[in-house]
Amino acid sequence: MPQRAVVEAPNPFREGLRMKQSPEPCVMVIFGATGDLTHRKLLPALYNLALEHPLPAGFSVVGFARRPYSDEEFRKQALDSVNQFSRQKPVNQQVWESFASGIHYLQSNFHDPEGYERLAALLNKLDQERGTSGNRIFYLSTPPSQYPTIIQNLGAAGLNRNRKGWTRVIVEKPFGHDLASARELNRQIGKVFKEEQIYRIDHYLGKETVQNIQVFRLANGIFEPVWNRRYVDHVQITAAENIGIEGRGGYYEESGAIRDMIQNHMLQLLTLVAMEPPIAFEANAVRNEKVKVLQALQPIVGQDVLTNTIRAQYGPGYVGGQPVKGYLEETGVSPTSTTETYVALKLFIDNWRWAGVPFYLRTGKHLPKRVTEIAIQFKQPPLMLFKRQDSQSQVEPNVLTLRIQPDEGISLKFGAKVPGTDMQIRSVNMDFFYGSSFVRQQPEAYERLLLDSMLGDSTLFTRRDEVEAAWAFVQGILDEWASGDVPIHTYESGTWGPQAADEFIWRDGFRWRRP
Amino acid sequence: MTKVSTGNTEPRLPWAGKQVRMEDVEETLAELWHLSADNVRIGQNIRVRTSVLNFVICAPNLAAAQHASAGLRNLGSTHIGRVILLILNPDPGAPPGVSTWVTLRSFPIVSDMMRHTFEQVTVLLSGSAASAADTILQPLFKPDLPVYLWWLQDVPTDNPLFHHLANSSSRVIVDSHGFFQPEASLMQLAQISRALRDSALSDLNWSRITHWRQLVAQFFDVPAYQRYLEGVFRIEVEHSVLPTDSAEDTQPARSPIAGATVNATRALLLAAWLKTSLNWHIDPSHPDNYRDPETGAYTWHTLHRTGPLHFIPTEETAEGLYPEPVISHSGEGTIFVRPRVQPGLPPGSICLVRLSSTVDGKLATFTVNRTDDREHALTVVTLPEGASPPRTVPIPGTQPAIDLLHEELEIIGRDHLYEDTLQEVSQLLSEI
Repeated sequence: MPQRAVVEAPNPFREGLRMKQSPEPCVMVIFGATGDLTHRKLLPALYNLALEHPLPAGFSVVGFARRPYSDEEFRKQALDSVNQFSRQKPVNQQVWESFASGIHYLQSNFHDPEGYERLAALLNKLDQERGTSGNRIFYLSTPPSQYPTIIQNLGAAGLNRNRKGWTRVIVEKPFGHDLASARELNRQIGKVFKEEQIYRIDHYLGKETVQNIQVFRLANGIFEPVWNRRYVDHVQITAAENIGIEGRGGYYEESGAIRDMIQNHMLQLLTLVAMEPPIAFEANAVRNEKVKVLQALQPIVGQDVLTNTIRAQYGPGYVGGQPVKGYLEETGVSPTSTTETYVALKLFIDNWRWAGVPFYLRTGKHLPKRVTEIAIQFKQPPLMLFKRQDSQSQVEPNVLTLRIQPDEGISLKFGAKVPGTDMQIRSVNMDFFYGSSFVRQQPEAYERLLLDSMLGDSTLFTRRDEVEAAWAFVQGILDEWASGDVPIHTYESGTWGPQAADEFIWRDGFRWRRP
Repeated sequence: MTKVSTGNTEPRLPWAGKQVRMEDVEETLAELWHLSADNVRIGQNIRVRTSVLNFVICAPNLAAAQHASAGLRNLGSTHIGRVILLILNPDPGAPPGVSTWVTLRSFPIVSDMMRHTFEQVTVLLSGSAASAADTILQPLFKPDLPVYLWWLQDVPTDNPLFHHLANSSSRVIVDSHGFFQPEASLMQLAQISRALRDSALSDLNWSRITHWRQLVAQFFDVPAYQRYLEGVFRIEVEHSVLPTDSAEDTQPARSPIAGATVNATRALLLAAWLKTSLNWHIDPSHPDNYRDPETGAYTWHTLHRTGPLHFIPTEETAEGLYPEPVISHSGEGTIFVRPRVQPGLPPGSICLVRLSSTVDGKLATFTVNRTDDREHALTVVTLPEGASPPRTVPIPGTQPAIDLLHEELEIIGRDHLYEDTLQEVSQLLSEI
């Protein structure tokens, strides 16, 4: 019988268990604890982690915000959040009480140094009482304008590091408003925290299906050999939303689709599809390869912006059978606004694998449905043996589709012979559905990411150079759009975008998929 | 051609589908799929047809077979390609016979819009045909898919059919919770495990303790607690038994339990796993390795390789020889497995696991305890400087076999940890 040596394994009881490590006891301090993100995502995610065991005994939450709550009032708010938004209902009362005993609240303005002194005292107290050993995560769930203030005050209060344990900071997107502001934000955070302490969160990376892109590519032998310019004709990445700006006119006017979706989520999807295999599935090895993709993007600047980008705003129309207003009629939106709610891009990756393969990205609001997918269209066979002999035959190219949301899964389109005496070919889809293949509930993206941050695994977080490389690519487009020479089109809400976007891809001999 | 029994004794199994000759199984199933495709076109729903394994259920009688068949609706997501429900006619005097039924089973996955469909072939073997079950089943397996065998009976010791079926299976699944003589059967199962060359062995009872293993492991993920691993000197595991008389039983919880049904299989597996993980070895010379026949409690004394080194100097023997000096670790440990009267918990459930450790003369305990709240346990760490905040964690009270089976069917390859643990259990039991 094999012998197991206690002294060699830090935890011999972990062998054979699915989860290889649970986090050390720690405190998560949430700045902006009364905000929407905390309410909808963070607290329900933490509760689910407590329910499914990974959270250690002693784990604590400190809500830091301006509203005058007591601990008990904040716990009640937290329970409301869990009741409303947890994926697991009803709330398990015993587990909740155990979890809630570690929830605390500290009222303070973000710019008040005294608030940070009280925070430091509270954290020391929790270290003593709950055994959190100086392990701290600061979660910035506030408007980005508050980030520098909070970071600076954390540093001034000496909370950026401690001798007893580890300190990390989680920064929510957007990471800057343009290249210059992103660099400045990185510089300010970098003055107080080391890069390895900084976890820039993009919740798309926590989605199971996004993580499966790497598994699909790199754990299967049959796909990688065709994953290149020799076999791939073009790639379409779509992130469509059926909702509008949902009353966030003030925010959206400053953002627009390119900042809100392209610079982060969609370029992240692009990097995962296009990256080279990393030397190991380890945070920096993976991120090194992702950065290389961003650095290899052919810049879209000057006149190229006219030919390689389309921007548009939604007009009035019907979505989900309901009439909706046009963007310019939305509250908080200037009637002369040129902020785009739709973007289509064509880009190229100048590297050995992808040279000459166009990647089309599109995203928009008030499109017919919510869907995110990556479609890889393969080249036709070199010789068409089954030529179109009658109108009923159709030999379409193979398309591999990775569906990110909803209906998460993978489908492959290929030609099949229609039964009969003649040679009739028809395209069929071979579908894999996550939901039906693995009935097990998928964790929310935030659950995975919060757990990773506690475990110190930054693989699914964005590194400084990734953020800046993504902004560097987008900046050329933003500059040209700002010049006013690029028209902004209008599309009817509930359609798949402006006519100009269709013409844009037709020019290359392709058409947009209808997801 | 296979003979189909047509005598009056042949049962009617409406739940098993259409009775067919064995050589017509494939053709009949193809017809059923064709009909099913038509129904899909009419019904507008989606049929998921993915095949990952052949699943053979070996049932000792019709009632057990029907019960297992009913439970299959909860295995929809496993994507079984074909279920072969093998029923062995328990009547030893029955004439030889093979009866076969086929059906397509279809169950909703997420909603009724999407259904998973698999084939079920029910085979009833009587008389001498039962002893040739493995040969009779061969043509029924879907090609190039692994065969998983679920053995619904007590552990077979001298049943050649079991060995034949096991040897043609990739995985054999048993449930030691149902063993009639748990101790003897676990030891026999350990023997069977050693004899199985190409098949993996699984026990649903091993899955039942996974949560407990996770909770124990979680203690020592904390770096500050890892130092206590080397000082562990006592393992305690308690499992529930029902009171001997009635709910009004006023005996204290740890009173003698003579007469109560005791099934300590889960506790033995957990204790053996802890022992293996800590690299402990039974001290066979210790006089107090025993099982108390009145209470059903076990005690073992162990030696272990961790802790400070201990030098045993040489001494001249009576023969004037000088043996080699011995350097060994001085660690000694004790394992207790004992029943606890816990009316709120199903018998055999784990109620408590506690590790006690001494480092630098200071005592620490790591405890997971469950009382009559069958759905929750409390974890507590007690250190010299005080106790950690207690944590309430959900833990499944009862897990139906079919739910555990779902997990087992997802495992590919051997579970070496389980097989090693089973050998440890066997060794522990052989030392008392």
